[in-house]
Amino acid sequence: MPNMREIRERIGSIQQILKITNAMYLMSSSKLKKARKSLECTEPYFYKLQSTIESVLEHTPHTRQQCFDRREDIPEDKRKKGYIVITGDKGLCGSYNHNVLKYTEQKLKEAADIDNCYLFVMGQVGRMYFQRRIQNDKKGYVDGEFLYTTQNPTLYRAREIAEQVLEKFEKHELDEVYVIYTDMVNSSLQETRTLRLLPFERKHFGKAADGTMKKLPKASFVPSPEEVMNYLIPQYAKGIIYGAMVEAFCCEQQSRMTAMDAATNSAKDMIKELSLMYNRARQAAITQEITEVCGGAASINEE
Amino acid sequence: MAKTFHLEIIATDRIFFSGEVEHLVITAIDGLLGIMAGHEPLVTSLPTGELKYLVNGEWKYAAISEGFIQVMPDSSIILADTCELPEEIDIKRAQEARERAEERLRQKQSIKEYYETQAALNRAMNRLKISQKHFK
Repeated sequence: MPNMREIRERIGSIQQILKITNAMYLMSSSKLKKARKSLECTEPYFYKLQSTIESVLEHTPHTRQQCFDRREDIPEDKRKKGYIVITGDKGLCGSYNHNVLKYTEQKLKEAADIDNCYLFVMGQVGRMYFQRRIQNDKKGYVDGEFLYTTQNPTLYRAREIAEQVLEKFEKHELDEVYVIYTDMVNSSLQETRTLRLLPFERKHFGKAADGTMKKLPKASFVPSPEEVMNYLIPQYAKGIIYGAMVEAFCCEQQSRMTAMDAATNSAKDMIKELSLMYNRARQAAITQEITEVCGGAASINEE
Repeated sequence: MAKTFHLEIIATDRIFFSGEVEHLVITAIDGLLGIMAGHEPLVTSLPTGELKYLVNGEWKYAAISEGFIQVMPDSSIILADTCELPEEIDIKRAQEARERAEERLRQKQSIKEYYETQAALNRAMNRLKISQKHFK
């Protein structure tokens, strides 16, 4: 039978943790509300952007645009692949970070040559993970100056990231760019996904949710296709990155909320079990004392 | 009533407008562009600027920052970073942004920073201009 004092101490420490998890639950649920709202507002843009660009590209004459250049002359094992990985800034959110990291690992494994993989990691957790990984002599490259948080996504941050990546692409420091993020399928289902950002390729554009894009026979571009594309491409990259950031942030809050809810519940269960044990131990101690007193009294009477 | 076409203006933070309009005037890269129902298919990008559209005989104005438009004979879609009605513009914030940008322009900057600052200044000026013009 465990000691009464020990049980009491354990209950105390669980109660402390319970307070923390409960507070985190409340915080993440209010953050989730905010993130949900911004997700709802951004989703139409995110999907519409993909479908509109798709239909625009179908009518774009072949231009010598950099961003369409698939650089097919570069063999598969020489291609420099960039991955923008969106993770959380903090842990304690269930399997959210783990899923993204595992997925990225898998992508790196699939890549023909890991030396040509460049990671642009958003969020503290992912950055730490990949930096540690490199110290352990696994190859791959993490951009150490790519310091962006995933909290409260803003357009400004998305613009900066898009500019950085586009610049690297144009300088031939990268040949392909992907975004790895977590997509909110519905409130209980999340999915880690890759989205190809560069170079542009028609079949890589996702369909709109409603799928109501009309085909236009031939569009004219004012003033010229090149000029329009020069504007459109950064715009598109920014929009996609922003959308991915918003989705990922919402997922993070959602999974933190679920994780903290589960933690609070199991803490409550533990306290219940422990207090039962405590009461039993107390009862046992009292019973023992009574028996001892009775035994003592009986022996005195016998004398 | 004139023939109408369906216009959708979608900003990153909301669906700004969705409905039937008679006439749309946008600021494209090289000047103003008027669009009515039955316009030829067209794609162009929109720099920071002003936008107006005619709904039920009434002109509506909006400040828009960077986006693009896809025009089809019976519908148009504008996708933009931000889009605001004149009365929604936060004048104080825009003024602060302008001052910040002007201050930064006086400093020595790299070309990239210079362009960024200029774009920020542009956005602030556009907001101020439109709110002064249509909302007093």
